[in-house]
Amino acid sequence: MDEESTMWNFEGDEHLNKASACTIRSFLTTLKENLNQNDDRPVIPLGHGDPSGFPSFRTSQVAEDAIVDAVRSGKFNSYSPSLGILDARRAIAEYLSQDHQYDTSPEDVFVTVGARQAIDVLITVLARRGANILLPRPGYPLYEARAVFSHLEVRHFDLLPEKAWEIDLNGLEALADDKTVAMVLINPGNPCGNVYTHKHLQKIAETAKKLGIMIISDEAYGYLAFGSTPFVPMARFGSIVPVFTIGSISKRWMVPGWRLGWILMSDPNGVVQKHKITECIKSYLDISSDVSTITQGALTQILKKTPESFHSKTLNMLREAADLCHARLKEIPCITYPCRPQGSMFLMVKLNLLLLKDINDDVEFCIKLAREESIVVLPGAAVGLKNWLRITFAVELSSLEDGLERIKAFTLRHAKTK
Amino acid sequence: MDDGEKQNFGGGQEIETPNNITIKGIIGLLMGSTDRNDNRKVISLGIGDPTAHSCFHTTAVAQEAVVESLRSAKFNGYSPTAGLPQARKAIAEYLSRDLPYKLSQEDVYLTAGCTQAIEITLSILARPGANILLPRPGFPIYGLCAAFRHLEIRYFDLLPDKGWEVDLEDVEALVDQNTVAMVIINPGNPCGNVYTYQHLKKIAETARRLGVVVIADEVYGHLAFGANAFVPMGVFGSIAPIITLGSLSKRWLVPGWRLGWLVTNDPDGSLKSPKFVERLKKYCDICGGPATFIQGAVPTIIEQTHEAFFRKTINMLRQTSDICFEKIKEIPCLSCPYKPEGSMAVMVKLNLCLLKDISDDIDFCFKLAKEESVIILPGLAVGLKNWIRITFAVEPSSLEEGLERAK
Repeated sequence: MDEESTMWNFEGDEHLNKASACTIRSFLTTLKENLNQNDDRPVIPLGHGDPSGFPSFRTSQVAEDAIVDAVRSGKFNSYSPSLGILDARRAIAEYLSQDHQYDTSPEDVFVTVGARQAIDVLITVLARRGANILLPRPGYPLYEARAVFSHLEVRHFDLLPEKAWEIDLNGLEALADDKTVAMVLINPGNPCGNVYTHKHLQKIAETAKKLGIMIISDEAYGYLAFGSTPFVPMARFGSIVPVFTIGSISKRWMVPGWRLGWILMSDPNGVVQKHKITECIKSYLDISSDVSTITQGALTQILKKTPESFHSKTLNMLREAADLCHARLKEIPCITYPCRPQGSMFLMVKLNLLLLKDINDDVEFCIKLAREESIVVLPGAAVGLKNWLRITFAVELSSLEDGLERIKAFTLRHAKTK
Repeated sequence: MDDGEKQNFGGGQEIETPNNITIKGIIGLLMGSTDRNDNRKVISLGIGDPTAHSCFHTTAVAQEAVVESLRSAKFNGYSPTAGLPQARKAIAEYLSRDLPYKLSQEDVYLTAGCTQAIEITLSILARPGANILLPRPGFPIYGLCAAFRHLEIRYFDLLPDKGWEVDLEDVEALVDQNTVAMVIINPGNPCGNVYTYQHLKKIAETARRLGVVVIADEVYGHLAFGANAFVPMGVFGSIAPIITLGSLSKRWLVPGWRLGWLVTNDPDGSLKSPKFVERLKKYCDICGGPATFIQGAVPTIIEQTHEAFFRKTINMLRQTSDICFEKIKEIPCLSCPYKPEGSMAVMVKLNLCLLKDISDDIDFCFKLAKEESVIILPGLAVGLKNWIRITFAVEPSSLEEGLERAK
């Protein structure tokens, strides 16, 4: 059969290539390919967003037991309703209500296959020709990828490192026009580790209202705030402006492989209903795949019965790791460290390339670091800030210590001699 | 909030809300029409999910495999794109048992149920101006997904007098240079057909001649209890490129677990071109797949499920399809042209002339729900007006009673 002939009518969609060219996964794959196979030392992964492989970061026993119970009960093998099993939606509503000033109804909760599908649903529903969406820079590249795929124009507003990565609201206002549909904020922040204050979130809500846009608040790292600023869910400002909150159990429970997330709609004034957004969400969920029923069946137990001690242990581990990073990174001359992370699992540092002799940008830094020191760190280009680095500190403390030492050694080796 | 507020967002034009006919949607409406004062229990012969009935329960082997996978704590993280290698390998081996060549694990992509496999396949093949051929009657998700991806839909008929075989002349007439693929559902939903080797070969040859990919929906694979044996379309992979879709949902009775697959059956390579594979992987990346711990259980589930479990399911389906067919023969205004050979449903024609105040299949089903608390799917939902689809994967006693009431 002649493969070169144009006999076959199919061709893939070119859009996909553009869309996923820059995912975090593709950067990490490139870095891993550059690791030196002959180096006996263990590889130190400081580039990922998934600590579940480390023994210290094992999920709560309660969560595991909940799933086992769900499987063995035999009651969760059937198809789930497309918006989620009612008990699961109720459990999420109650879990999220703990912080809100008003009760959350299960009707406002949609269960999704991880936060990833939540992003997929919201971008798809908002996309229409000529519209644009405002995304943070640095940010989480899946938003860009999905937006491009849906022909939604992307405009970036800056986060200000000198102000604890707060949003540059003036810049944001200048970007918006009458075709802007929404803005995305990530809090606690990936990749910056920010936890915004109540005051700042309120200002954001008021700005969004003025511009007539809705807010998508990505709270995948919700409640993972270990610093002095408490985590404030954006849903609290739903009476000012419609807020769609994205969340999941993946990060707080260290189980990204379980694929359970949600969309919470906070719109007590019914603005979104008027514009048919809710119907569109339901329609899209009708034709998309659902979350495994086993996980949904276990959710009530997971959300209600996980002991506080599990959560405080996680926060303590993250705090200790963040402190260690703070201590060590300050010692490295060519790295500038604008502020301590307050939450999530990441921090951003800036490279001072003038102090390095044969390294021209962040990608080169990371590739050489992988090759020479067997460490994986994400180049800032992956998240929208060239010549910065994103460091994940959710790893075993001893590995982190080792990793930071090796980074220091690497920078000394490549330092420009005066 | 005053009306003077400007609001920029409106529902995406991409989603057409009004025509969203899904099987779950219609069943929901029918359930809503049942008479609450009727003390008898509602009997649903409408949905393709037998797990509501205790006689259709999965095997303990599968359940324990998932428990073990979870307890190992090795499967809580993200899975690699396209799925865990051991799960892909297990499925490659499982499917290769019935093929004249060996599939490699690289040919297997894990998806969150067959529904996601459909979504990915259609999205990958879509391009501006393209069209796709779908069977009528068929499975409505194809139509919805295709419309959503801006694929023009063209329906070809299945012939009730010929065991619901594909009307290949119809197919030839519909194909043009913008046709990317044709979909075959075998064993068939909603018709219960199991195609012969010869017919499948003809389909492959036609596809080759017309230059289209065959999407073989084999979600009911191996659930054949009649005279015709199940033949996977992949057998003809060297004639035309085949994309096989399947899942654990039906054969293992666990539709809620969401473990499906998309397999490229293409030993001669057009679907294996690096470009195509890369696109497929990238799409899987954007979507995310099934829960990792369920993937972790797949090798054990595939290798250790006993034949006895499969036989039990098939026997029950054979029994219930017999009951169904016999009972339908007793009802004058229903005619069933073809006894089901596989899957879990059968298509039955309504003879409206014999009914006095019923105008069409939707009217029939709603009145049946209201007066007799029996739920049956109107054929319109699957593309054939004035037919009805009866699911026989239910408790035999419920089936009997349900059909009695229909009488």
